[in-house]
Amino acid sequence: MNMIAPIERTGERLGRTEVAGLVALAARTVAPLWPLESAIAVNPLARFEELPFAQAVAEASKLFGARRTLPLALWRRLYENDRIDEAALRDAAIAHLGGIYHAAAPIAPGVTMLDALMACLLAIEPGDQPERKDGLGPDAAFIAKWCGAFFDHGMTTMPLPYRDLGLYRAVLAMAAYDPDYRTLTGARGAALLLSVPRDPLEAISEGLASLEVPVDELAYLSGLVARLPGWAGHIRWRTDHADPDRVADVPATMADLAALWILLARADAVSALPPAPSAGKDRRAALLAHFGLTAKALDARNAERLDAVARVDDDALGALFMTAAERSYANGLMPALQRAARTSNPPLRPDAQLVLCIDVRSEPFRRALEAEGNYETFGYAGFFGLPIALHPFAGAHRARLLPVLLSPRHDISERPVPGRESEAEAIADGARRDACTSDLFAAAKVGPATAFAAAEATGPLAAALMLARTFAPLAASRAAATLRKRRQLALAPAPEGYANHTGVSLADKVGYASALFRLTGMRPDTARLVVLTGHGASAVNNPYAAALDCGACSGHAGGSNARLLAAMLNDADVRSGMAEEGLKLPPTTYFLAAEHNTTTDEVTIFDADSIPDTHAADLAALSASLARAAGANRARRARSLDRAPGDLLTGAVHWGEVRPEWGLAGNAAFIVGPRDLTRAIDLQGRAFLHSYDWRADRDGSALATILTAPMVVAQWINCQYLFSTIDNERYGSGDKVTHNVIGGIGVVQGNGGDLKIGLPRQSLFRDNGLPHHVPQRLLAIVHAPFDRVAALVETSDILRRLFGKGWVQLIVIDPETARARRWREDGADCGEGRNLLCVDC
Amino acid sequence: MTMKQNALPLPLHRRRKIEIVMRAEDRTMVEDLLRAAGVSGWTMIRDVAGMGHHGFHQGRTIFNDESGLVMFVGVGDEAVIADVAGGLSRLFESRPGVTFLSDVEVMRSDYFSPARSTPRGPSL
Repeated sequence: MNMIAPIERTGERLGRTEVAGLVALAARTVAPLWPLESAIAVNPLARFEELPFAQAVAEASKLFGARRTLPLALWRRLYENDRIDEAALRDAAIAHLGGIYHAAAPIAPGVTMLDALMACLLAIEPGDQPERKDGLGPDAAFIAKWCGAFFDHGMTTMPLPYRDLGLYRAVLAMAAYDPDYRTLTGARGAALLLSVPRDPLEAISEGLASLEVPVDELAYLSGLVARLPGWAGHIRWRTDHADPDRVADVPATMADLAALWILLARADAVSALPPAPSAGKDRRAALLAHFGLTAKALDARNAERLDAVARVDDDALGALFMTAAERSYANGLMPALQRAARTSNPPLRPDAQLVLCIDVRSEPFRRALEAEGNYETFGYAGFFGLPIALHPFAGAHRARLLPVLLSPRHDISERPVPGRESEAEAIADGARRDACTSDLFAAAKVGPATAFAAAEATGPLAAALMLARTFAPLAASRAAATLRKRRQLALAPAPEGYANHTGVSLADKVGYASALFRLTGMRPDTARLVVLTGHGASAVNNPYAAALDCGACSGHAGGSNARLLAAMLNDADVRSGMAEEGLKLPPTTYFLAAEHNTTTDEVTIFDADSIPDTHAADLAALSASLARAAGANRARRARSLDRAPGDLLTGAVHWGEVRPEWGLAGNAAFIVGPRDLTRAIDLQGRAFLHSYDWRADRDGSALATILTAPMVVAQWINCQYLFSTIDNERYGSGDKVTHNVIGGIGVVQGNGGDLKIGLPRQSLFRDNGLPHHVPQRLLAIVHAPFDRVAALVETSDILRRLFGKGWVQLIVIDPETARARRWREDGADCGEGRNLLCVDC
Repeated sequence: MTMKQNALPLPLHRRRKIEIVMRAEDRTMVEDLLRAAGVSGWTMIRDVAGMGHHGFHQGRTIFNDESGLVMFVGVGDEAVIADVAGGLSRLFESRPGVTFLSDVEVMRSDYFSPARSTPRGPSL
């Protein structure tokens, strides 16, 4: 045997950089997956956004083995629960059949094609859902296992050796000792371990060249990456979004992951993909029986019509239901919006103004507060336009408090409030002590000599804590609430730069302060009190707690951003700079910051003791109104959760709570316009509201910003909820009850496998199995001149794609006439030359 | 005596320059290529505007670093830049973008020497 011969013949090899290009493209097959501490909603099908929505769903279904729509039985339950109008469903069916002329074509006397299709939608037994194999195949399980060991986030007592060499090389070093690897790959795998290149790019190149059957390299690599979308998504977060200091000690790239798959492929150890689930059956016999017909009674033409309907599979029927759900929602909303657009309300100077996040949970709270007095509210992205990362006082890592679409431009620090330095130090000492105690306990409970002693010593205390958290959660949470309050009083974000970073310059401060007015259309004749209100949530023992916080603040609460911008707006130099730009605010206006807790509806006012005496009465009145609004909104939310209002306060601190709130479930619309447009409408917490005044935006730049940033974030959220609902196992994270947190970076189902990429079942479905979130695409409604919107969309890649490919539906309301037009999807029938069509709802 | 007669000849070195204009959302893919090829540094210009096959591309974006176009400028040895161009050809099969290659002269050649590494991984 020639000892220096390659173990297999290889063809022409790609260059290393060519492989890097292919891997970079293949990596886009999966969306980045943020760690739990800053869970960010992303569209799991982001890579497919270049395609029309229906085609994207179909292609992703093949790649990820996921469903294309909700099972038909669930759609029917939503229909029976009045979440979908019959008229809208009928319209969708008519459109599917090619228009009313074709839909009315007879199959038999008294039976049209439309009747047959409606019977398929509502009456005929759905196709059987194909059975799914639980868990991963042995090949994916092998790679997932080593990913778990490699990315352990410092949780294991014995870290994987050779991690500094990267994922691929670390696994190469250890695989020879892994019986799973031997079972999977046999002698061929053992030989490959000795001979494959150590550079992942070269290993991929050699592996591609060694394949016996020529392949489309990009499609092949994309398919491999998609086999473990969770771990691949985690790698994408590490390479594209993480701060380098967070990931430098455990280097990993998508090339590492792909090279591991190629290693298994060269040993013939990669299993075949299961077919994409698609429930379909020929409904011909069932249709004949349903209408009491016989096949013989139909002539050839009618039989052909019957067959055309009978061939419509469950996926296509589900798509019709989704279209109907979207139209039902739009049909209910648009007349009310157009009515509001026809009326004009003279501006009054309100007692106070509040600026809240655009989040769908803000809308019902705003409505409840407006009912309490002469208050004006605005919607603005919850990071308040500040591209910052905050370094917590005595904390280890910075928190990015801005949308993931942006990179931080200012590293700022949390600093003691003047006069409270010693209290701040005491809080920091306490935090350090708690961290040390926690580390000591973690080490003691796993140490061979200390495990039993640690259990003996701390067991009674742990039992007492457990009982308190179970039976008296409100009392048990008081200590944490007190500490949180102390921290808020003693520490505040400061505009000065962290360490050697430059702070926020005066020019920047003026720019950020002015942007609030420019983007929301807020007039400079402000009220005496303006409260910038961020939001956060309360959840205990909940890996997805960050998913309930502010998405515009990268899964953190938005109070720090609100405090910082309020301080800027109270700064005399900033006010002077704003006045030079034409924004002269009344000297009597004072800005405050607050944070709305979306789980309890309580509003915390920050820095209230700094308010001038002249404004104390204004704040007292507002605080009373906020408390009443909180009670009203809590009662409304409690009904939707089938609970008592007081239960929501308990659920926010109870460690056994699986659904502390509905989060953004139900999200359906993104409305850009003045509050007058929506104030009289109960939007039921389903709409993102961004304030906008088309008159104040002469060049359209504010609208461009709103549509290309906040709306894009809203679309990500919408798509995450949509896909997590239609296939909760593939695109969501399944049942919370069987979740295990792994390394603080994600959850797995059971004791291992791939990281789950979406939302848990309890965030989307009611206990009776009915979806609380109706999977439908975002409806963007813009109150602005048609030409302005059309010009904007036509010059923006992102907007052309989202509206043209059907990922977001756009309706524009002309402010002068209140006429509405819908954006035409690419390829849709159009009798007019323009992309905006007269709306048909 | 003029200044020109006294000046020493500039120590110039011939290199290749690559300029790449791509969508901002694709910038990490270009960075991966540049690293894989061993380009030791580059310049990235955000908010590039201009007219293309799909009409005018707006340059100014705020609140979204992923929208609009970016331009990369890299300089290196001929073989390294050719390697980058080879990798780019793969990206251009499915992503929009343009690239320009040209000869340039640089003063500090050590700034443009190859640095071989894996994409964002450890040196080999």
